[in-house]
Amino acid sequence: MKKQEEKRKEITLTRRKLLTRTGALSGILLTGCDTQFYRPPTIRDGLMGVADVLTMASQRLLLSKQQLVQEHTVSEITKDFPVWNQSNPEDEEYQRLRAGDYREWRLPVTGMVNQPVSLSLDELKRIPRRTQTTMHICEQGWSAIAQWTGAPLSSVLEAAGGIKNGARYLVISAYGGWYEGYDMFDVVHPQTILAYGMNGKDLPLGNGAPVRLRVERHCGYKQIKFIKSIQVVSSMEGFGRGTGGLNSDFGFHWYAGA
Amino acid sequence: MNKPAKNWIYRHSYNARICHWITVVSFVYLLYSGIMIFLQFPELYWGKVGFQGYPAIFRLSDWGLSWEEADALGDRRWGRNYHYLFAWVFVFNGIVYLGWNAWQKSFYQKIFPTRKELSVAHLKTEFIRHLRFKAAIGREAERYNVLQKLSYLVVLFVLFPFMIFTGFAQMPAFTAISPELIDLFGGRQTARTLHVICSVALVLFIVIHLVEVMVAGAINQIRSMVTGKYEVPAEISEES
Repeated sequence: MKKQEEKRKEITLTRRKLLTRTGALSGILLTGCDTQFYRPPTIRDGLMGVADVLTMASQRLLLSKQQLVQEHTVSEITKDFPVWNQSNPEDEEYQRLRAGDYREWRLPVTGMVNQPVSLSLDELKRIPRRTQTTMHICEQGWSAIAQWTGAPLSSVLEAAGGIKNGARYLVISAYGGWYEGYDMFDVVHPQTILAYGMNGKDLPLGNGAPVRLRVERHCGYKQIKFIKSIQVVSSMEGFGRGTGGLNSDFGFHWYAGA
Repeated sequence: MNKPAKNWIYRHSYNARICHWITVVSFVYLLYSGIMIFLQFPELYWGKVGFQGYPAIFRLSDWGLSWEEADALGDRRWGRNYHYLFAWVFVFNGIVYLGWNAWQKSFYQKIFPTRKELSVAHLKTEFIRHLRFKAAIGREAERYNVLQKLSYLVVLFVLFPFMIFTGFAQMPAFTAISPELIDLFGGRQTARTLHVICSVALVLFIVIHLVEVMVAGAINQIRSMVTGKYEVPAEISEES
């Protein structure tokens, strides 16, 4: 009996270790001879695909230590942080949740996780939070600094019992129809957080209330707003055109670090 | 009177010719795709941050093209894809060119000015000759003149690397790879502005380069960059 309990403890510990210590996880993920972190889910035809892989592989090599991005001081926070693209999804369910101050909002974490869960906003806020003052860089050319507070994505996966073998991508769907896929290299980064706070307040409507993603090291279009659900999958097939996200379905780079 | 025999020399190596034309193609694509990207955000800022409504140092709308009009002309989806594709072509081409030439003594003789050429008197003579649009002839035409050498050196070793590094400083991944690089340029928006200014400088270089090709004899010059053979202009004008 005791032995069994010990064994269970051991399993949870390894799992915890695997997911809470992002360094350890990224180590495991990176020491494999797997080339999955060097290429997008779908490689485009011709030279365009070659250029995509070159860009992603070279940057991922330079990022292989999972360095943190530069953090700015609070005094550098931008007043009037721009509201870009979708600012208030025309979605019945979203508007109902918004009217109820997001008390009814739930975040299902499903797919290749050991214990699928559905987290409320309060439950998300109970996960040890991370606050970071970082620069948002839009692919169009603008940039602005804000302070974001949220739950590390790796801790959220831990709350769902950890990921199963063979899990490769994490797909986030949003109210309003957007979806975007991320590989585990970005998921385990300490600064990848599900942000519910901005500049010390609740995340404003225009910036993606109640929860948006901060996946630093990427352009603005990867920072998906109005999050609805999370799925862990082994392949991006079956999502949109299968390229790995709505932006890449439209012909933008899936890897948005450049 | 007999026509003087044509004096041919072999002016440009295979390497120089191939790399020159690859540079031409990739530069045209980089410039055009860069404009396509810029048109959809036609403002420039100074410092770390900048967005629509933030004090700009340059606005295309002040020059007669409104934000909406510029936006309609641009295409950043096409632009971004081709900008990165040809940036790779450009970089590999540059590596091949410099990698090959670093071992060639003739490269240094060809492109680096001599001490004598850098004298104030010589620079002045060359400058005046350029202002008068007079082409070099005879022995002088066989090699690059000092202003030509200096401008090639600046483009190769200052402006091209500057374009690449201000490009890096705009990439989100570099906020983790090397925030120092972004700070070195004075922030993300300054890097973007310098990238645009440097591209304007390169366009100016190309305009002057093309004018000089015309002055020196377009057919002879272009032929030499395709086949390598160059007909040295005879010193007839001096004699007559």
